[in-house]
Amino acid sequence: MTLAIRLRDVSKSFRLRHRSPFLARELLRAVMQRPTRVEVFWALRHVSFEIRAGEAVGVIGHNGAGKSTLLSLVARTARPTEGELEVNGRVAAMLELGAGFHPDLTGYENIFLNGMLLGLSRREVAARLESIAAYADLGEFLDTPIHTYSTGMRARLGFAVVAHVDPDIIILDEVLGVGDAAFQDKCRATLTRFRAAGTTMFLVSHQPSNVRALCERVLWLDQGRLVADGPTEDVLARYREASQQLATRTAAARPAAGQSGTTPGS
Amino acid sequence: MQTFTDAYRFRHVLLALTSKQLKAQYRSMSLGFFWALLNPLVMITVLSVVFIWFFGQGAEHPARVVVALIPYNFFTYCLTGCATSITNNSSLVKKVWFPRQILPLSIIVTNIVHLGIQSVLVVAVLVAFPTPGHILGLQLLWLVPLLALLLGLCVGIGLLSAALTVVFRDTQYIIQSTLTVLFWMSPVLYDSGGRFAGPGRPGWVEPLYYLNPLAGLLDSFRRVLFWGASPTPLALGLATLGTLAFGALGIRVFFRHEPDFADYVK
Ligand SMILES: Nc1ncnc2c1ncn2[C@@H]1O[C@H](COP(=O)(O)OP(=O)(O)O)[C@@H](O)[C@H]1O
Ligand SMILES: [Mg+2]
Repeated sequence: MTLAIRLRDVSKSFRLRHRSPFLARELLRAVMQRPTRVEVFWALRHVSFEIRAGEAVGVIGHNGAGKSTLLSLVARTARPTEGELEVNGRVAAMLELGAGFHPDLTGYENIFLNGMLLGLSRREVAARLESIAAYADLGEFLDTPIHTYSTGMRARLGFAVVAHVDPDIIILDEVLGVGDAAFQDKCRATLTRFRAAGTTMFLVSHQPSNVRALCERVLWLDQGRLVADGPTEDVLARYREASQQLATRTAAARPAAGQSGTTPGS
Repeated sequence: MQTFTDAYRFRHVLLALTSKQLKAQYRSMSLGFFWALLNPLVMITVLSVVFIWFFGQGAEHPARVVVALIPYNFFTYCLTGCATSITNNSSLVKKVWFPRQILPLSIIVTNIVHLGIQSVLVVAVLVAFPTPGHILGLQLLWLVPLLALLLGLCVGIGLLSAALTVVFRDTQYIIQSTLTVLFWMSPVLYDSGGRFAGPGRPGWVEPLYYLNPLAGLLDSFRRVLFWGASPTPLALGLATLGTLAFGALGIRVFFRHEPDFADYVK
């Protein structure tokens, strides 16, 4: 089995600056040899895993756990601060709803821009244009600028393009679960078809039902660390348990703050 | 090398962004491409009125200015446009991977189109107003290396300013004030030719003046298009060195920080 994604001891830090830097001040400080102090925040710490081609892997974790950061590294919009990252194959990433769309361009123009940003040539987009338009099913709205679109409509258009690029690896960050039920079913059907065709999938979703339906394996991130990596049901169960414990503890902490408690025995 | 093949693979995106910019600039104005000529036309009118009537300059003065003004405008439009090319597309940069050099390069291509339109004006002025030299001659071949140098300078400084603006908030203001100084430090409204000779002028003044690569370039454009002569070796030599230096610096700084742009933009 060939490897699609491999991370070896990958860490990612962000510089937190209380004031955004000014060139004039930084130059002065450099000349005076007084470097500015920057606080460093580690969004991912020592993460290692491998994903084989054709695997479908979900990422779960609380807000701020580092899920989006992890996906952005694989999608190449950011690079690891430390460690080694290897990605093999053509990647189509949807890191945000409507990413790569330009609000002033029409739906059709955005299909071209988005398709080309995902690595298609102009001719390839043109050949798929009809099929993309039919998939998005937005009618004459495709001729209007997309700043007039609703969130659901933008999701439709974005997903319609991604569904037509034949990537080796597809990356989705919380973009499922938008739009009406019919469209969600369509998305899920498309992703299932992708899976059957051997496309590697790497996705973040807050809906366990989506993770369950699409992924055979789940990574659980907590405060930038990989705390679990295994079969979907196992990791989801452990995650649920931990979340419940956390909720119980939070609830238990409340009476101590002076309120009458309805704390379940712990 | 990879960076250039990447840019070539995404050339369709570059063209799409360029046509988007051209459309955005011209769509709202029924004057269409005439708009590109309006600014320099106003300038020429003012020059004719002010300099010929009030300051008693010869009738050749508009021609003398225009041959340097149009390349100077190209430079400033490229510089100011490139500076904000990454930060103005922050959502794209944050959420989609693509070769980032596409953004400043599309600004430059847009301005090449403007330059093409404005060169019609240069020709018109050279026909309408008298010039001291015979312009139609073999020295016109110098325009090829001169335009290449101007383009190289704009790419280098454009990449540099784009990268600096991502990190430092005040880059735009520094550029604005620098441009004000640069306008007077470069031979746009005046002709620097022959001004450095004569008693009481130390020999190092002229090389110092031409350390500004734009000065040497504009001077050379004027020598060729207005005086019908070849560029002076000093002006052209230092302009070449300056362009190479800025080109190397811009490429180095840009591609060193390009993978981290997404961490900085908001
Ligand atoms: N560009 C950035 N600069 C500073 N901190 C960031 C940046 N991007 C993300 N972070 C921080 O990294 C952490 C992880 O963020 P993220 O990966 O978006 O979490 P998740 O997607 O799991 O909710 C958060 O604490 C967030 O504040
Ligand atoms: Mg997230």
